[in-house]
Amino acid sequence: MNAMSSKPNGAPPGAAFIGSHPPNGLWSRIGMPAVLAVLLLAFGWANPNFWSATNAANVSRQISALALISIGQTFAILSAGIDLSVGSLLALVSVVCAQQMRDYGVAAGILAGVATGGAAGLVNGVLITRANVPAFIVTLGMLVAARGLALTLSGGLPVAGLPRAFLVVGAGSVGPLPVPAIIAGGAFLVAHLALSRTQFGRYVYAMGSNEEAAILSGINVVKHKILVYVVSGLCAGVAGVVLTSRVVSGQPTLGETQELYSIAAVVIGGAKISGGVGSMGRTFMGVLVLGILGNGLNLIRVSSYVQNIVIGAIIVGAVFVDMARERRR
Amino acid sequence: MREAVVLTCLIGLGAFVGTGCGGREPPPPSDAGPKPSQEAPAPSPAAADTAPRRAAEPGDEYPRPPRPARQYTIGVVLPHLSNPHFVGQAYGYIDEGQALGARVTLLEAGGYQYLDRQISQVEDLIASRVDAIVLVAVSGPGTVGVVDRAVAAGIPVINCNVMTDSETVVARIRSDDEVIGEMQADFMGQVLDGEGTVVMLRGAPGTSWAEIRGNSFKRRLAEAYPNLKVLGEQYSQSTPADGLRLMEDFLQTYPRIDGVYNGSDTTAIGAAQAVLASGRQGRTIITTTDFQSDTERFMREGVITATVLQQTVVIGRWGIRAAINHLERRPTPETLWTPLLIVTRDTMDSIDMRGVRSPTGWTPPVGHGG
Repeated sequence: MNAMSSKPNGAPPGAAFIGSHPPNGLWSRIGMPAVLAVLLLAFGWANPNFWSATNAANVSRQISALALISIGQTFAILSAGIDLSVGSLLALVSVVCAQQMRDYGVAAGILAGVATGGAAGLVNGVLITRANVPAFIVTLGMLVAARGLALTLSGGLPVAGLPRAFLVVGAGSVGPLPVPAIIAGGAFLVAHLALSRTQFGRYVYAMGSNEEAAILSGINVVKHKILVYVVSGLCAGVAGVVLTSRVVSGQPTLGETQELYSIAAVVIGGAKISGGVGSMGRTFMGVLVLGILGNGLNLIRVSSYVQNIVIGAIIVGAVFVDMARERRR
Repeated sequence: MREAVVLTCLIGLGAFVGTGCGGREPPPPSDAGPKPSQEAPAPSPAAADTAPRRAAEPGDEYPRPPRPARQYTIGVVLPHLSNPHFVGQAYGYIDEGQALGARVTLLEAGGYQYLDRQISQVEDLIASRVDAIVLVAVSGPGTVGVVDRAVAAGIPVINCNVMTDSETVVARIRSDDEVIGEMQADFMGQVLDGEGTVVMLRGAPGTSWAEIRGNSFKRRLAEAYPNLKVLGEQYSQSTPADGLRLMEDFLQTYPRIDGVYNGSDTTAIGAAQAVLASGRQGRTIITTTDFQSDTERFMREGVITATVLQQTVVIGRWGIRAAINHLERRPTPETLWTPLLIVTRDTMDSIDMRGVRSPTGWTPPVGHGG
């Protein structure tokens, strides 16, 4: 990722002094794992089936799509932006992917799906940077428009008749590992490396911490912001393809409110909603907490109504705790 | 401190689980129908004024099997519970489960748009090793994969009311949606003397009921009443708000609409409000399916003209009966049709509601052991 032309090579600007690292301290290292451990123990105690291998595979399948869009959301939020469009993009990607796949085969479908996500992300990024419309508004517009486009393309009906071979993506497994989990896990790894080891990653933190400072230190903010939304779109593209395989059809109603859950995963992980603080590892924890809560509460037969209350409380609680700790320091 | 937050939640949950486990006895006392001593004919509240419970109840065409020796766990997965149609069904599942000593867990997806959630719920039921799953599918094609996986895991799936495209289900229990569409078409054709204009509120896209009912309505009109013209048709989620919005727009678009077809009565309630607001009541007739309390009110007021009654409680009861029969290795019919009946303001008061609605005040225990 060779971005800088106005700057001499070597130390990337900004990265060294702008808050590029998550807060340190005991809590930030063991806090989320501890919460997860408590959840795992509690659910396992309440229903022994929770611990079964089937259920582990279950959870990983269920959270893979959320994991993928949360990766993109992490980039967006770290750069002090937000991507509200990802939920609807799942539906648009699903419809495009299924229609192309039905007509031109598995590879064409997957490619078309991922490309659709990337293209939508590009539109988001260009509008945010070039037209100077706030990310919240641009992606909100995309949220509504992509849903409409998905419904229009499909006539509101599911696109059925996908080739049998495609089901592997959502339902297959390699050894004990479900394919969607491998895809999401791999994506997390790549995203983690991109964020922590590349110039692009450092620029994302820099833009999120202080955009003015980032501009002054010569970072090409326009280019990297566009890239952030393209990445988020591509993540939604992959997630949409995985979900399409899971539901064995192109579904224009897929992914409703998923954008909010992806934001929740990022902030539960401890990222700052105003940007600059957070990491892939923490988002991964946030996704796990949400996924395990949903699954565990189902297994111990808690009403789906009450589940929403619990998850809502946890979202606010997590941010509250972070803010309280921040004030103490 | 965050631990404190989560721990509090978990303690809350613990308490919840505790009460959930304790709450395995019958739901609300008002409904304390059959005691575990099963055959004992305790009077049901809905029928308190008339006969004992086991005397000819709606749905006895497919009779209740003997109570099995062991307690089966049955997971019931519903699209949502914000429509009395599904509350009636939920009552059927829970009440029949009690009569047959089964532990019934209800899960609802939150709406037809939450296919991924329904799939997760079925997966969770597979993981918790229920004995059988009763599925009301939010999508025909979308549920194929997960149903096949349940069956592969040795868990039989009974498909009720809204169909999955999977071929592996043990039994399908439903109203005949073809007939529901035809009954509405015939009613409209006769009342309008085979002449006029019609709009259609079809219901949730991609569901078997919206598709089959709407298509058979149109087919029947074309065959038998060629001068009844369909001006427009729209899909929407099954909510009164969607019905209201679509009908208002139809009324803006077309100056004269003689008939309104509804795939479900949730949209019909919205359509009725739109027709009332436009002052066209009596001149625009509305036909629909099901009989929630607002539908009843609008029928008494003469705004909704006719409705095809589905035996929602019976669908629920038969779902559990079929599951138990299958688990007890008794033959189970592949398809069971629950009876249908079209009613108008004049005939509505003579209907036995025990097969159609849950008792007044009953609320479904979502997510609990029944």
